[in-house]
Amino acid sequence: MEVSHTMSASLPLLLSWISNPFVAVGLPRDASESGWQIDEMIRSTTIAVSILFILMVLWMLWSVVRHGPEHKALYDHGADFKSWRWTALVAALIFVVVDGDLLYRSTRFMFGTFFDFARAEATPGAVRIQINAHQWAWDARYAGPDGSFNTPDDIVVLNDLVVPQGVPVIFQITATDVIHGFNVPNMRMKVDAIPGTVTRMWFQPRETGVFEIICAQHCGANHYKMRGTVTVLPRADFDRWAQITSINSARAFDGKDLEAHWGWNWAAHARLQ
Amino acid sequence: MPGEVIPYRPVRARGDDTAWLGMVIFLGSWAMMFGSLFFSYGVLRLRQPAWPPADAPPLPLLLPLVNCGVIVLTSVALQRALVAARRGDRSSMVRGVFAGGALATLFLALQTVLWTSLFTSGLSLGDGSLAAVVYGLTGFHALHVVVGLLGLGLLLPAVLRGTLNAARNNRLRLWVMYWHFVGAVWLTMALLLFVV
Amino acid sequence: MTSQEVAFDRQTIEALQPIHPPPTTFFSKYIWSLDHKVIGKQYLWAGLIFLLLGGTLAMMIRWQWGFPGQPVPVLGPTLLRSSGGVIGPALYMQLFTMHGLIMIFFAITPILIGAFGNFCIPLLIGARDMAFPWLNALSFWVFFLSQLLVIGAFFGDLGAAGAGWTTYPPLATNIGTPGSGQTLMVAAVFVTGVASIMGGINYVTTVIRLRAPGMTYMRMPLTVWGQFLTAILNVLFIPVLGSAALLLLMDRVFGTQFFIAGAAAVKGGGDPILFQHLFWIFGHPEVYILILPAWGIVADLLAFFSRKPANWYKGTVLAMSAVTILSAVVYGHHMFQTGMNPLLGQGFTTLTLIISVPAQVLFLNWLRTIYKGSIRLTVPMLFTLGMVFVFGLGGLTGLYLGAAAPDIYLHDTMFVVGHFHFTMAAASFLASLAGIYFWFPKMFGRMTNPTLGKIHFWVSSVGITLVFSGQLLVGYAGQNRRLWNPFEYELFRPLQPLNRWTSYAAFILFFAQLVFVWNFFHSMARGKKAGPNPWEVGTLEWSIPSPPPVHNYDAIPVVLRGPHELSDPALEARLGRDWVGQAEVVPTEATGTVPLVQRGVT
Repeated sequence: MEVSHTMSASLPLLLSWISNPFVAVGLPRDASESGWQIDEMIRSTTIAVSILFILMVLWMLWSVVRHGPEHKALYDHGADFKSWRWTALVAALIFVVVDGDLLYRSTRFMFGTFFDFARAEATPGAVRIQINAHQWAWDARYAGPDGSFNTPDDIVVLNDLVVPQGVPVIFQITATDVIHGFNVPNMRMKVDAIPGTVTRMWFQPRETGVFEIICAQHCGANHYKMRGTVTVLPRADFDRWAQITSINSARAFDGKDLEAHWGWNWAAHARLQ
Repeated sequence: MPGEVIPYRPVRARGDDTAWLGMVIFLGSWAMMFGSLFFSYGVLRLRQPAWPPADAPPLPLLLPLVNCGVIVLTSVALQRALVAARRGDRSSMVRGVFAGGALATLFLALQTVLWTSLFTSGLSLGDGSLAAVVYGLTGFHALHVVVGLLGLGLLLPAVLRGTLNAARNNRLRLWVMYWHFVGAVWLTMALLLFVV
Repeated sequence: MTSQEVAFDRQTIEALQPIHPPPTTFFSKYIWSLDHKVIGKQYLWAGLIFLLLGGTLAMMIRWQWGFPGQPVPVLGPTLLRSSGGVIGPALYMQLFTMHGLIMIFFAITPILIGAFGNFCIPLLIGARDMAFPWLNALSFWVFFLSQLLVIGAFFGDLGAAGAGWTTYPPLATNIGTPGSGQTLMVAAVFVTGVASIMGGINYVTTVIRLRAPGMTYMRMPLTVWGQFLTAILNVLFIPVLGSAALLLLMDRVFGTQFFIAGAAAVKGGGDPILFQHLFWIFGHPEVYILILPAWGIVADLLAFFSRKPANWYKGTVLAMSAVTILSAVVYGHHMFQTGMNPLLGQGFTTLTLIISVPAQVLFLNWLRTIYKGSIRLTVPMLFTLGMVFVFGLGGLTGLYLGAAAPDIYLHDTMFVVGHFHFTMAAASFLASLAGIYFWFPKMFGRMTNPTLGKIHFWVSSVGITLVFSGQLLVGYAGQNRRLWNPFEYELFRPLQPLNRWTSYAAFILFFAQLVFVWNFFHSMARGKKAGPNPWEVGTLEWSIPSPPPVHNYDAIPVVLRGPHELSDPALEARLGRDWVGQAEVVPTEATGTVPLVQRGVT
């Protein structure tokens, strides 16, 4: 182990870490349409808790330094109303301001974006992908030109998804063996892949690029290697890819390979009511 | 504060009450255990479109109901034994304990008949959630009946020798509480699994 | 009954707790002891040994992240010869699984609840022993059996358990982790649960039934409140874990399908999420089980070493009780990613944010206790203040995770790991050490070395803050949990230096504990002999010799006041000191007579 090399390489990072940790280890690039809401929640919570934390530290330091052994202790149980009223009010204030803000924003995101599958499904040009997670790879299936899953023209890929920019990409996800976690940090989205259940998520890519899929639920020895990619292409390039891949899939279709036909009826799990 | 009279809660003298409280807490704990098992049954049942699942053999009704009766009689016999003990009626107490033990053994025998009939009608242990729930819950309950029988066995020397008497019968009281609990669990289980 | 009638019956109280002749044989003194103080120490040894084991496993995890794929020093050549000293992916998952299970069930639980609960409860409420001494001894040996099962798991045919401490099926069934190691660990968890229930029954009954006369609920030290509420949670929710473990064992051993779905399901199969419901209905109360004793100890020690009463005692009791009651209804925040119904998720978010309010109340009470005090920075006080610091930090990070939306990004990242290490590991660990240093004189009759204690405190606290902040930071950047090599992913490669520095801090933290080990054993043998009340505080255990006789109190004390009567000007003038014992008789000014204790309502 080259100790000196590692030390010199990480010293600048340490210094930057001490000076501003959130620059050195910031949130990953947000390439999605709605991810900014999550980032905003995280940042506003960080500001609030940092203020509270600093106040706590200052209070403790003040007490320890100014109210040390030479200070005469105040015999006060804090049990009378005027005293505990202060405590209750401060707790209530923190709850209303910090927790309340977070609750509001979280509710707005969950109901306005995360669960708004109706809007995503109704968007023309939305792409639908079924994911079958298993140890240790991501099987993905697109409906293909005919719009139905489990038909010969389905696009079936392993680990490397391609999606268009600017429209919702909707996922229905399951697993065959153990629980996995379908996680795309650059889109600020994740949901578990659970055997026997179909879970759903959606996001809308805003930027093009290649982004990683990372398994977010311990699934065995090779959990660390369960990597995929989401390549976001401009719409025209995506359409061309889809067309070519669908033709290739149709050519490779084998009606007798039942295990390969793991797709399911999309509408049955869309739960749009 | 000077001159203040401090209130004090009187302590009941009998250490028996302390043991009773401990037993109540234990049974509360175990009620949570069986409650979780019933909760599990509910979750698994609600996830299936039909219950019992279409391809499963029909669940018997008569045997569980008979066993409900048997276990109620067990509780009755043991409660009477306890009352007899408090009265100082040693022979009735002995009769009650033996009757309770015999009825509990009958319960286990009938459960075994239930399991074998289910198995021969095609429901094996690995057959999905129905098999898991029926075998698992009734099996776990049967384990508690066995523990109860062991408890009665432990009491037997004191019962026969007469050291369990009108003044000192707390151990019997605790085991009778346990048996009432086991009975109540079975009644609930039979209702939820075989009737509803 | 007239008001002059002295109604409490000393004979009755003494009859309820007779003084037995002390044990004489080695077996009855040290092996099968019915003395709660000995059983408490047995739990302490058992817990400390497994704390060392769990810590070693943590160091191996940190090694892998700091120096991925490199041979482990010392342990590599000895234990990992078949892989050339390197930790492989299969071993890695066993390391984090066993680390989590051991730390929670076999280290913190026996120390904070087994040791302090047993040692402190009877002493602090003025009793001679627990309500059920025989059950108490049995609970320790059942616990010991569970520890043997853990050791056995390490020798499993396919290695130790590997499904994570959360043991989610189907990974935790034979599909994902076949072999006896995983089965033995699930059995170990079940058996330790039985021991915890036994202990819980004892603690609850003892607090309800064996409080000394005058020891009303509102005069109990907060340490006892913490243990009492924890015991209630244990009694109610360990059985839920027990049912989950039982059903999982059935799936593993008898081939049932409670939790198996997907390709392996037969005739509809079971529901993996059912396990998560059962596990977290237990699991969330479990985190409060692990922190309530710490909260109690901290609230008491802050008062003692600020030389003033704990601020708004009643508010702290109400807050701790509120958290206890609410603990089970917030459990769904561990399952936000399972595709749950949005309304259910919203409910859990709201309740989770609400449960932070009582925690804030008791935290503010702590801050107000030390303010305008006369703070003595003894070693126990330093550790107590350290706990306040790490719990404040950790608790604040819980906000991000309690709301469903930010949790989408942060779930299963190291941010969660940092959060629970601060609130659970760091806070409980520092509180345990505060308790050990505080009650050491009472347990062993000697004082520990303060200089070594202070070194231990500073290195540990700085180490803890650095290590777990490192986890928070890499989690913030998205690094997921339980990855053998996080740097497989481009997103996490820039985090390698930070991971390495966190590992350095962890190694320093680990080796700093040697100071404690030395101090502990050396002081036990050669420490300065301790008087009955070296800390000059008023709770009942400090009114008897250090260490106490087997029967604790020669006469059951009659309690006249609360546990934190410190710096009362009226009493200070009379007694010439700033503390007064809970059962200490102070003749009244006016009449010169002793206050009466009368039959009445609590």
